[in-house]
Amino acid sequence: MTDMKTSSTAGLRARATSLWQGATRHHAYDLGLLALALVVAVVFTLINPSVYASQLNVESIAFSVPEVGLMALAISIAMTVAGIDLSTVAVANLSALFIAWYSAVGEAAGQGPIVSTLIAVAGALVIGAVAGAVNGFVISRLKVAPILATLATMQIYTGLAIALTRGEAAYGVTAPLSEFGMGDLLGVPYVFWFFVLVVVVVWAIMTKTTFGLKATLTGASKVVSEFTGYSYSGVIVRAYVLTGVISALAGLVMVSRTASASAGYGSSYLMLAITIAVLGGANPFGGRVAITGAALAAVVLQLISSGLNMVDVSAYIYQIVQGAILAGVFVVTFERQRLLQRLARRRTAPPEPGAPQPAPSVVREKEPA
Amino acid sequence: MSTAVADSSTVRDRMSALWRRYRGENNETTLLLLILALVGVMAIVEPSAITLGFFGDIIRSGIVTLALALGLLMIIISGGMDVSFPAIAIFAGYATITLMQSLGVDGAVWPFVVAVAMGLLLGSLNAVLVARYKMETLIATLGTQVIIRGVLIAFIGSVYISVLPAQLDAVGATSIMQLGGTQVNVLVIPVLVLAGALAWVLRRTMFGRSIYAIGGDKESAKRVGISVKKVQVAIYLVAGALAGFGGMVHVVLSRHASPFEIVGTELNVIAAVVIGGALDSGGRGSVRGTILGVVLISLVQNSLIRLGVSSYWHVFVVGLVVLAGVAIQARSAAATHRRTRILERLETAA
Repeated sequence: MTDMKTSSTAGLRARATSLWQGATRHHAYDLGLLALALVVAVVFTLINPSVYASQLNVESIAFSVPEVGLMALAISIAMTVAGIDLSTVAVANLSALFIAWYSAVGEAAGQGPIVSTLIAVAGALVIGAVAGAVNGFVISRLKVAPILATLATMQIYTGLAIALTRGEAAYGVTAPLSEFGMGDLLGVPYVFWFFVLVVVVVWAIMTKTTFGLKATLTGASKVVSEFTGYSYSGVIVRAYVLTGVISALAGLVMVSRTASASAGYGSSYLMLAITIAVLGGANPFGGRVAITGAALAAVVLQLISSGLNMVDVSAYIYQIVQGAILAGVFVVTFERQRLLQRLARRRTAPPEPGAPQPAPSVVREKEPA
Repeated sequence: MSTAVADSSTVRDRMSALWRRYRGENNETTLLLLILALVGVMAIVEPSAITLGFFGDIIRSGIVTLALALGLLMIIISGGMDVSFPAIAIFAGYATITLMQSLGVDGAVWPFVVAVAMGLLLGSLNAVLVARYKMETLIATLGTQVIIRGVLIAFIGSVYISVLPAQLDAVGATSIMQLGGTQVNVLVIPVLVLAGALAWVLRRTMFGRSIYAIGGDKESAKRVGISVKKVQVAIYLVAGALAGFGGMVHVVLSRHASPFEIVGTELNVIAAVVIGGALDSGGRGSVRGTILGVVLISLVQNSLIRLGVSSYWHVFVVGLVVLAGVAIQARSAAATHRRTRILERLETAA
């Protein structure tokens, strides 16, 4: 039903514009986030320069970004395959508990610090991978909706952590991990370097590999992906394994930084991580890769958190701000799109009102015989 | 030999036809059998636990869950998800008590009305985000959850109120009957009436059928002339009102008010609704199933206590039960999708 008689130059220009828009959309979005981070930083610096722009504060922001940033990364990947992972924080806690537990066990067994660190970290990663594989299996094979599946596994992983620790916190990590959590290189904390490294690797996985492409396609349209011949559940399981491993890395950063772990740690992180993922440009309906966006959004949220902390408002105000940002992202995107559509319609002199609606998304061309 | 095979196959056919007829649209019979089996296991393992008081406990712990589950059920049938209802509930309950204290007024019935009105108002937030801005319902309600709870604790109050206004407290002390050592509170009646009313609305009214239609397929619903937006707005308003009522029930039954309660228990409620046969992809679910789901969850929790299972394992076990329930329902939904529904009905009717 599309009008085929548009003049060829206009058509070409429109196509070129849309191509250009498509190519730069993500970068434009990331640039927008960067600008937002700058605005937030400038505003809070103006309020109280001596505190907000102090080296101490900047360092504390750099220390606090990685753990929640990694969780957001995990959720962002789940959203790419049209899912969500509510068990992220639970998996991070489980991994962190293992590391803290093994640090003590390894030392008691007389292992060197390097050896016990390696075993502890490897164990944590295995926990993350297994937890993620379970999520992926339940979602793709048992066909449970991601929300419900991960809501249930969140309860199971948390329950396991509570049961194994009797609800108590575990303290202490090996010396190398403690150095990793507290030290810095060139004035930037190790954990932040680590975060940047993970972001780059995950970004490469999601945008440069076949798996990344399959994951994106699967998220965009499950039905279409089923016609391409690759294994749907294979992609989903691998995506959730990646999610689980990143959650475990978040646990690693968490336990290294605080030298303690507990089953109930960071329960407010879940909401924060989802907010960051959405603000970072992930689409909960799937099909969009937003790794760099999630990283930038994590920085934005921590800048806000630190600023609100500085002006001494309640932690609940920060939660309200988080919720408002989450809703605001959608409201702004929606209104912006409507505005753009209206402008575009005015510019291209539309097929007057009363013209047929665009074709519905589902077209049944043939009746089954 | 061949006759034996034929016999066994006809028996199997008959059994499966019988099963299909009595299974219920949402596996209600499976649930009922599961509940009976659990009670049976309890009766064998720990016979002393099966007392009237045990059932009284189940009713008492299930009543708030059911009150909260009703609103959620509508939303899940319509193909959405809601995690804001605990925040709405505790906001309505706690703010009403605070209001009564600061005005120095007392009452037994009108506080419930106030709480319902607050719930309605807070539900409108969800309605706007979902119906106008087409937000993913989980994300939208996650956002409103923290906003509502944040406003409650930051601006309305964060203190534990240990004594409710006298008349309202009297409601919490009024029981209609005694089961074993457990009092069954009078609030059971309005909650069951609401459940009945919702069941009627869902089965018999245009509005109720529209909820199923939207959950089944939004596009089709639109094409048969249902205003998806209007129905969605109504769903989230009513769900908010029901959550407000549930919050007040919780406060009155626990006979104190704390802004830190309810939020965090959403999994139990979601689990009850989903195990009861409502599927988050929408179009399925019933009040009957939800009640059974509530009973099952409540039964599992109370059984763990009576069996002396360490409380550290409760979260884990309930999580497993939820996962199993959800997986079973998802499997059976996937199976029915493959069959033609109409043929099955005709066959069963014949």
